[in-house]
Amino acid sequence: MTHVLTWGFGLFLLLPIYQMAVTALKAEPEIWYSPPTLYAREPTLSNFVTMLQIVPRLPVHLLNSFVYGLGVSLLSLLIALPAAYGLSRFRVPGEAAIVFGLTYANMFAPIMLVVPLYSIMRRLGLLDTHLAMVVAGSIFTLPLSTLLLSTYFRTVPREIDEAALVDGCSRPGALVRVVLPLVAPAVVAVGIYAFITGWSQQFVLSLVLIQSPDLMPITQGLYQFFSRSSVRWPELMAASTVAAAIPVALFVAVQRYIVQGLTAAAIKG
Amino acid sequence: MAPTHSSPQADLPGRALPWLAHLRASLRLARRREWYGVPYVLPLLLYLGVLLLYPLGYVVYLSLHDVNLLSMASRWVGLDNYRWAFEFEMPGSRGVYFTTSLLRSLGWVALSLSLKVSLGLAGAVLLSQPTRLGRLYQAVTILPWGLPWAIAAMIWAWSYNTQFGFVNGILRLAGLVEQPVAFLGTPVSAFVSTAVADAWIGLPFMVVMILAGLRSVPPEVLDAALVDGASPWQRWVRVTLPLVLPVILTTALLSTVWTFNSYDPIWVMTRGGPLGATETLPIAVYNVGFRQLRIGGIGRAAAMTVMQVLLVSIIAWLYLRMLRRSQQQAG
Repeated sequence: MTHVLTWGFGLFLLLPIYQMAVTALKAEPEIWYSPPTLYAREPTLSNFVTMLQIVPRLPVHLLNSFVYGLGVSLLSLLIALPAAYGLSRFRVPGEAAIVFGLTYANMFAPIMLVVPLYSIMRRLGLLDTHLAMVVAGSIFTLPLSTLLLSTYFRTVPREIDEAALVDGCSRPGALVRVVLPLVAPAVVAVGIYAFITGWSQQFVLSLVLIQSPDLMPITQGLYQFFSRSSVRWPELMAASTVAAAIPVALFVAVQRYIVQGLTAAAIKG
Repeated sequence: MAPTHSSPQADLPGRALPWLAHLRASLRLARRREWYGVPYVLPLLLYLGVLLLYPLGYVVYLSLHDVNLLSMASRWVGLDNYRWAFEFEMPGSRGVYFTTSLLRSLGWVALSLSLKVSLGLAGAVLLSQPTRLGRLYQAVTILPWGLPWAIAAMIWAWSYNTQFGFVNGILRLAGLVEQPVAFLGTPVSAFVSTAVADAWIGLPFMVVMILAGLRSVPPEVLDAALVDGASPWQRWVRVTLPLVLPVILTTALLSTVWTFNSYDPIWVMTRGGPLGATETLPIAVYNVGFRQLRIGGIGRAAAMTVMQVLLVSIIAWLYLRMLRRSQQQAG
């Protein structure tokens, strides 16, 4: 019974990912067998070549996603790092309200702000710019980045900064030279969380803020495999594999820290 | 002490007016607080103040105006946009557009969330048992988490494909269906299929949170129940479940908000179709604001957004209250 459940659960989790990978590796006639073959009989990489012929701009979309991810990540860290340090080291006035506000802000999704953000960016003439995507994206990554980082900073004893201060370090110096190296893996993990979000999770933002194809992120760029009458499924699956591999690999690499931070906030308090 | 006797201390303002005592205490505290921390936190407060609070205020402003699409010039219309939201019926369909999509959203969230919680609990219990393949299994569980939602929706759409999808392929292989099912083709099946795909996207978070809850149950408590002669089922229902329930509830509330705001899976798989069967509130807001401009517009979409934000805030308030209570219990 437990075995049936275990396999059923695993099957459900892997099914679409598996079909994506298998389809990407199938040769032309085999893709259109119905019912589908459950594995690629003659695996080939030809779909990864033809996808570039159908959508020559694919590398540009990947590059755009990279820029959005990096921008959101750097901006989030730049603002969240000092804030998290401040929250963990000082009794900042209104600290409880700030943490409360951040937890609340973490519930906001792009769809809730897409109408005003569009209007604001349009008035500022920032529609169709990298800046609009990065700034709008960072709104949704900053709250969780700050909360996670302050959880990690709290694990470093204050005595360590104080020792650095006694040795003649300034406060910001102590943060950069002493505390940051101690929580470096967690900082990288939070940076990667923001990068993944900027890379791919802001679909509705790019639908609204970006119109020119040259600035579209990969998630939107994949729509070029859809035409009015049909979808180029094999090439779409090949391109999806490439587009998904990067955030998934990064996430798997750092998930331990993200999970630790999230569960610490929810369970230990 | 007799209740009619007033104690001498009652004359002190602090005793008679508890809020005043509270204020004094917090003022004393404020003086002791370290203002050195402010410069560190200030950039965050300014940034989110401008970029989160300003759009929130601005959307209320927009909801009270008629916004010209070309010039973005706005004209005060009072509550007209809200009145429109509660009156407008999409041509060719029955029922008020806003309330119908709101109700549809609630049903869709209920379906997706019940899948997330039940499968999340089952998955967490499976993972909490030590197995040989435990680590591999955990990695598999985490996998969908890093996947872009839009891409998750695209690969689900392919798996649901009538002729070439694996879901139909497996069902036919197992002899469960004779004719392939058009999962995204009929209103009811599309409603269910998009909710299943959404549950799939949110499942890893659920499993991981509940698993952490299960692992935080002290083994001594379970041992004590074992000594008392409790059966495995009794230990699970009477000991483990009550201890994990706060985690399940807070995670479910957080997930409710995320599911309510879920936009990508539906837009990618059905764009609200067929026949509007998957037109949830987020899809409706997008349609009114950016797609069907003849009937909609920014002002009307803003009015719908304001009501959406209010609804989400109610759930968020419940979540924050629960979170604080469970943290106080945990000490």
